[in-house]
Amino acid sequence: MVERSGYPAVIASVDVLTPTLRKFVLVAQGGRFPAVSAGSHVVLGFGDEARRYKNAYSVVSATPDGRELSVIVRRAPQSRGGSVFLHDKAQDGTPITVLSSANLFPVVKKARRHLLLSAGVGITPFLAHARALETAGADYTLHHFCRPEEKPAFEALLASLPPARIFIHDRPPEDVGMKQRMAEENIATHLYFCGPEGFMNWVEQTAAQIGFAAAKVHSEHFFVPEGGQPFTVVLAGSGQTIEVAGDETLLEALENAGVDAPCMCRGGACGACALEVLDGVPEHRDHVLTEQEKTEGRTILTCVSRARTDTLTLNL
Amino acid sequence: MTVQTSARESYRPPYQVTNSAETIMRFPFPFPEDIYMYSMNVEPHIRSGPVAAMRNTFDIDEHYVAECAEKARILQEDPKRCIVLPHMREAEWDFVELAMTTLSDQYPQHFSLRREGLDWHWVNRLLGYEQSFVFGDAGTLPLPPFEYMARQMQGDFTLHDQREDDLWMDGGMVTAQADWSLKFDLGMSFRQWHAPVPKAAEMGVFDRGLRFLLMLQHEKPVRRLNWTMTINPRLDTSPENFMVWGADRASVTPENVADKVHLRVELQTLYRLPRSNAILFSIRCYLMPVRDIMRVGKWRKRLHRVLRDLDPALSSYKGLDLYRQTVVDFLAPYDDGAPLSNGIQPDAEQPENVLAPAA
Repeated sequence: MVERSGYPAVIASVDVLTPTLRKFVLVAQGGRFPAVSAGSHVVLGFGDEARRYKNAYSVVSATPDGRELSVIVRRAPQSRGGSVFLHDKAQDGTPITVLSSANLFPVVKKARRHLLLSAGVGITPFLAHARALETAGADYTLHHFCRPEEKPAFEALLASLPPARIFIHDRPPEDVGMKQRMAEENIATHLYFCGPEGFMNWVEQTAAQIGFAAAKVHSEHFFVPEGGQPFTVVLAGSGQTIEVAGDETLLEALENAGVDAPCMCRGGACGACALEVLDGVPEHRDHVLTEQEKTEGRTILTCVSRARTDTLTLNL
Repeated sequence: MTVQTSARESYRPPYQVTNSAETIMRFPFPFPEDIYMYSMNVEPHIRSGPVAAMRNTFDIDEHYVAECAEKARILQEDPKRCIVLPHMREAEWDFVELAMTTLSDQYPQHFSLRREGLDWHWVNRLLGYEQSFVFGDAGTLPLPPFEYMARQMQGDFTLHDQREDDLWMDGGMVTAQADWSLKFDLGMSFRQWHAPVPKAAEMGVFDRGLRFLLMLQHEKPVRRLNWTMTINPRLDTSPENFMVWGADRASVTPENVADKVHLRVELQTLYRLPRSNAILFSIRCYLMPVRDIMRVGKWRKRLHRVLRDLDPALSSYKGLDLYRQTVVDFLAPYDDGAPLSNGIQPDAEQPENVLAPAA
């Protein structure tokens, strides 16, 4: 079993889908990738001498023999540089490591019907889901929302799926009667959505207004951890002091200092990296802690959150 | 580990199961301290541990052939000991992959696997099986994939779907259980199937356990030890067969206690399955008679202390009330009260002879 080192791979091809979206096909070197379920993300390790990155991306496809997998990466210039590196520097033959995989956005296999709504790069988990649902003979419909100039790229990405199940819109959901379509769904339908914050909020509120049961509503906030003010973190257990630079996350700073910190999604979505805060005020940026927990400020998700105070003391 | 290649042993009357010195020393004795209470005793299932039984992904020992034969016999009598719901098909293949790759890697003398793309070739030398099949195509195996492989492994297995922030027991093969039934628990949620366990729910053990397992990551399996006691070396102590074995609990006397009463230990391991996002729960059962536990000084003293001071609710739940005092009285003269080291590892290299061999 692979413990920490991950699965070595190289980039076998780079497809420019739109000016901001690129698809990367990874080929395993000297072995096979682990199987991944639809909706999974992989944490990829890459970079150069100047900087190493560990970023999580949804797997859009994987071959059953474990030789290849593909991710789509959106260029996020305001983030810490991983996506810019992949867009500007990665090419055929660039080494890259699959460090881990996990699924935080599975479909409910027993559901009678699945309604998938995505916008922009939020399509990525649904590329895998739609194919898996198609193979399983499940009942599903996918609505994707994008800018007019991006429509041909998404039509090409979804071309292998039956047209009756796929709708690509170049106008916002409220302008194409999406609320009405959602309202007409059967009570057994499970709803899944993924996209930028404004889109997420619209779907969430609309689903609540219509009366979708909370247990049938599923979302994945794709989230690129951003930088911020530098701060200092003190580990209460060891007394170690670690500086968190403006362009790295707290989790990355811990890892770079050789601390074995827990983590999984690296995007503020799973809660696996939670640590107890003993002193200082966290700046919460996650989707896991409740409002009450955020106000209490005694827990921090190291993968995305930062500090409002100059120093943060953690129980580690 | 030396594996006997024929099934000379019997897990039914007339019982005939013997443990070699090696099997005794590798036994996963379940008590790290002199007092036992429920806890979140979960640790990474890495390839090391205090005893040899914990050092492989799936442990194979000298009873392999006999246990597989017993499992086949139980399945023949009661085919519903193996049920997998239709939405767990991918989990079946996950199980086949995990089992075949780890067994062939860790026991190359007994198992081998050749993979060319999706064309797989499996050899089980202990049971004399050889099978070519297409991975993912159930029609190329003689049995459904999960059943095909679970029959070739010691212990019980359940498959759990993850949805609604819960785990659902949606499949399994259960033939060596400590008085629970897959037929009854199938389709239940984590809290539902644990409902009969006393005390642990109010201690918050299940809430924490479920939260932990929902986050379980692929290639980071975890393990824990659980225990109870069983009269006679009987793997199948199922509710379905209670009328067969239940009365045995009233048969323990000071004369037969060392041979009749067995410590039943489950090495429970949990794996996130990558294709299905399901969780595999493996329950590997070890039966060790008091006579053999006596041969490790630390273990016989600690077993005495744990049983003597056991919480009455746990004693009742585990079904020990009819004979627990008989075991305690038998062990008491062999416990000098000396402090024992923490942890489950034995305090000697080889078993000692304390009692005369069984007649």
